[in-house]
Amino acid sequence: MSDHTLSAYDDELNELRSIVSRMGGLAGDQLLGSMQALKERDSEEAQRLREADKELDRLEALAEQTAIGVFARRAPVADDLREVVSALKMTTLIERMGDYAKNIAKRTLAISESHPVVLPQTLETMAETAHRMIQDVMDAYAHRSADAAMDVWESDEVLDNMHNAAYRQILARMMETPDYINVYTHYLMIAKNLERIGDQATNVAEQIYYTITGVVLEEARPKGDTTSTEAVGQ
Amino acid sequence: MVEPMLKIAPEYEKVTDNKNPKMTAKDVSVFYGDNHAVKNISLDLHRDEVTSLIGPSGCGKSTFLRCLNRMNDTITDCRIEGSITLDGEDIYDPKIDVVQLRARVGMVFQKPNPFPKSIYDNIAYGPRIHGLATARADLDEIVTKSLEKAGLWQEVKDRLDAPGTALSGGQQQRLCIARAIAVNPEVILMDEPCSALDPIATAKVENLIDELKGRYAIAIVTHSMQQAARISQKTAFFHMGDLIEHGDTTQIFTAPKEERTRDYITGRFG
Repeated sequence: MSDHTLSAYDDELNELRSIVSRMGGLAGDQLLGSMQALKERDSEEAQRLREADKELDRLEALAEQTAIGVFARRAPVADDLREVVSALKMTTLIERMGDYAKNIAKRTLAISESHPVVLPQTLETMAETAHRMIQDVMDAYAHRSADAAMDVWESDEVLDNMHNAAYRQILARMMETPDYINVYTHYLMIAKNLERIGDQATNVAEQIYYTITGVVLEEARPKGDTTSTEAVGQ
Repeated sequence: MVEPMLKIAPEYEKVTDNKNPKMTAKDVSVFYGDNHAVKNISLDLHRDEVTSLIGPSGCGKSTFLRCLNRMNDTITDCRIEGSITLDGEDIYDPKIDVVQLRARVGMVFQKPNPFPKSIYDNIAYGPRIHGLATARADLDEIVTKSLEKAGLWQEVKDRLDAPGTALSGGQQQRLCIARAIAVNPEVILMDEPCSALDPIATAKVENLIDELKGRYAIAIVTHSMQQAARISQKTAFFHMGDLIEHGDTTQIFTAPKEERTRDYITGRFG
């Protein structure tokens, strides 16, 4: 896209884009870090990750200030308007991803004090998938690719299906070993956190698609998560 | 009875009535000698709607606007092709009375141009020459109503004998709008009506345009993107004599279809 006649306008939009990208990168790191800490029952690292989440909060506030400044000074329209509005929404979504990663770290603190219980493999696979979704969606943002954003949007069903599988698997283990129900409950919540990170990545993809094309994706996305509606163990 | 597939709210239906435009321009071209200034423009103006014409200087928007009440007639070497109709009637038909046409299609210019007469006579002049009123009482009523519609009555009612030129710039522009309204126009054309006004006077004129849109078809040429976005329901983007894009103002300002429109309204024109 060609530059604005006012180069300071481009600088401000680039600053906003840079904040969004930094937040995406950080959220991915937070997720990887929290899953690593969980696997290694590393409460020190988990605590550090909880603290590190504050950087995402700070960047979200910075993005908000920058966006408000653009609105006030530039009265953006067309692509620029969509860019700024979407950036505002995306930073909120990414900050939420960070919150889910932080929640995993917080649960790690509790889990590491409990009796060691094997981490279900499906959680690790879910985390890898969620992390890839973050990476892919931030790549789509960096390359301004509506097609790549659409791919992420469509891929969320995979994570939803994994969540269904994880949910059943963890529930089955709870029934087999009720002594560890406390840890398994944490695992269940972590699975939900990972599924929600995928949802946020999907919402980010919607924003990117809208920014690039001007078209709002309708709520027709295939939803695969059935855990909140099905009765298990009957 | 078959139910319509999509029910449209009445007020929206009114705005988007594409069947009976007030004015229709079809394949309009304007030449100044060999210079093809406006190229095959087709555009409808509707009652209940403000259409903004935007585009860089020299894009043909003002030239096109001036075709709509034959203001270009006086320019030598100016040749117009295509057709422009008002209620289906060709305004370039030799039988058309141009003075009458300009009463039906009024114009407000960039610089307020009140007559060097009293405020009262500025308004009464048109109705007098068009024979709309002869008795003083009738004229009084037209003057009062026109100034009221133009939102100027309260400010000038006690000094109707004062010269129109003694008013502030914003008041003068509203006086010119009142003057246009006084002869019962159906269409009002405005050529950058706020470019000489401060923001407060601009807001008052914009508010007036918004109030007037229910009674007249309004076309406004403006260099202010924000003004186009604020006051119009339809926006037409002109560039080098071509109509690049014409559509719903919100659509144009959030997701224009044409790259040149995008570049212009976002300030990317080199």
